[in-house]
Amino acid sequence: MRALGLSLLAGLGLVSLTARAPCFAGQALVTNQPGDSLSIVDLTTMTAEPEIKIGGKPAGVALSPDKKTAYITAPEGEELVEFDAVGKTVKRRLKLGGAPVGVAAHPSKAEIYVADWYTHKIRFVDTNAFAVVTDVQVGQSPSGLAVTPDGKLLLSADRDSNQVSIIDLASRAVVATVPVGERPFGITIDAVGARAYTANVASNDITIIDISGRAAIGRVATGRRPYAVALAAGLGFSTDQYSGTLTVFDLASLTALKTIEACDHPEGIEANTAGTEIYVACWGDNLLLRIDALQLVITGKASVGDGPRAFGKFLR
Amino acid sequence: MLKRLALALALVGVLPALASAHGPSRQKVVSSIEINAPAEKVWAVVGNFQDMSWHPAFVKTEGKGGNDPGATRTLTLENGGTIEEALIKRSDEDRSLGYEITKVDVKNVPVSNYSSTISVKGTAEKSIVEWRGAFYRGYVNNDPPPELSDEAAVKAITGVYQAGLAALKKKLEAGG
Repeated sequence: MRALGLSLLAGLGLVSLTARAPCFAGQALVTNQPGDSLSIVDLTTMTAEPEIKIGGKPAGVALSPDKKTAYITAPEGEELVEFDAVGKTVKRRLKLGGAPVGVAAHPSKAEIYVADWYTHKIRFVDTNAFAVVTDVQVGQSPSGLAVTPDGKLLLSADRDSNQVSIIDLASRAVVATVPVGERPFGITIDAVGARAYTANVASNDITIIDISGRAAIGRVATGRRPYAVALAAGLGFSTDQYSGTLTVFDLASLTALKTIEACDHPEGIEANTAGTEIYVACWGDNLLLRIDALQLVITGKASVGDGPRAFGKFLR
Repeated sequence: MLKRLALALALVGVLPALASAHGPSRQKVVSSIEINAPAEKVWAVVGNFQDMSWHPAFVKTEGKGGNDPGATRTLTLENGGTIEEALIKRSDEDRSLGYEITKVDVKNVPVSNYSSTISVKGTAEKSIVEWRGAFYRGYVNNDPPPELSDEAAVKAITGVYQAGLAALKKKLEAGG
């Protein structure tokens, strides 16, 4: 079964590589928090372009539906920064106040969502007007945000309430809260919108949520202080900040399979669209790692700016 | 050296520490020192999680669990304050150990969510000891008081690292 899965995925990987090779090979937009900058990394050569100054100690990142625009949170500047990923320049800045951290984009509408860590609300931002259109109050210190692929629901990891808030995007109201492990930070929704995975910093585990059932359906133990989760090839990967590892677990059985020695404080993590590779920002070593999602080994490293976080969806 | 360290550690913060939220931006300190002693010998000192007597800021180390992950220790400062720590990982092969602070009063060390790695690289003659710290400031909201700011946190940890590494070098080069 596993062997069949591998060969199928390898086939897909080849197709995808051939299709995208002539024009655009893929990039990572890595927010360097103490470095106060963005590093754009070419995912084929695993080399970064010269850093671009962002300001305000950038942390969170999300991409517009066409992936041409990045939305970057700057918690110390208390700003949301709109970044032209094609022209590689900052376009607009929006002063939000508080401490904007997590950010997620709607999959089709011109709307993004910013979690305010200090005032415990989600700011809804119209990306055409580049202005806040409404706020939705959630639990304490909302951190990671994710939108279901159908664009109907927004999930917020309310870190200091040990819960996930589920927000209906049409009515802009919290419709459910789901208790999870202690201090959930990153949250990731699978490609079909069935499950969400929170990385629970204080209980050192991942909670698996059935989104339609609005309930937690399992937990997987990780290394110390998991930050976020990526999904690929039927596997989940957590970045364990203090342990410096990735915990790899099987999404069907929800059991841990392997621990990969990664780097000093691995943080932002995302799988490529083909599900063949995982990219990890290493806050301590100033690196972006590439991990083969099938072989479960590190296959590339790119030097980036100081203190990369890449909290959110940072691959384009 | 000791006086400067005492200054860095003697803080006047009075904020009651909130349960878990932290400042908006994690701080980083990396300090290193070259020591004219074999790496094995240096590691034998810094690799023992249960003995911080090489560091002048700590008058006592008490702990349990030896050098296994999950081991704990309590470091006592000259003013009687304590820092509780836990060992996350340790490798004789890499000569590296990672630990975290599990409990500290910001009046004694103005940081929160602190984790650290100390490692030894080198040869039979010369070693480089590197001490890396990752932490948030002691104040969890915007507009921190100066004694609980990012700068205060970085200054305090830099002071701890530099004083410790200088003392370690002196001890080992003296043949201690």
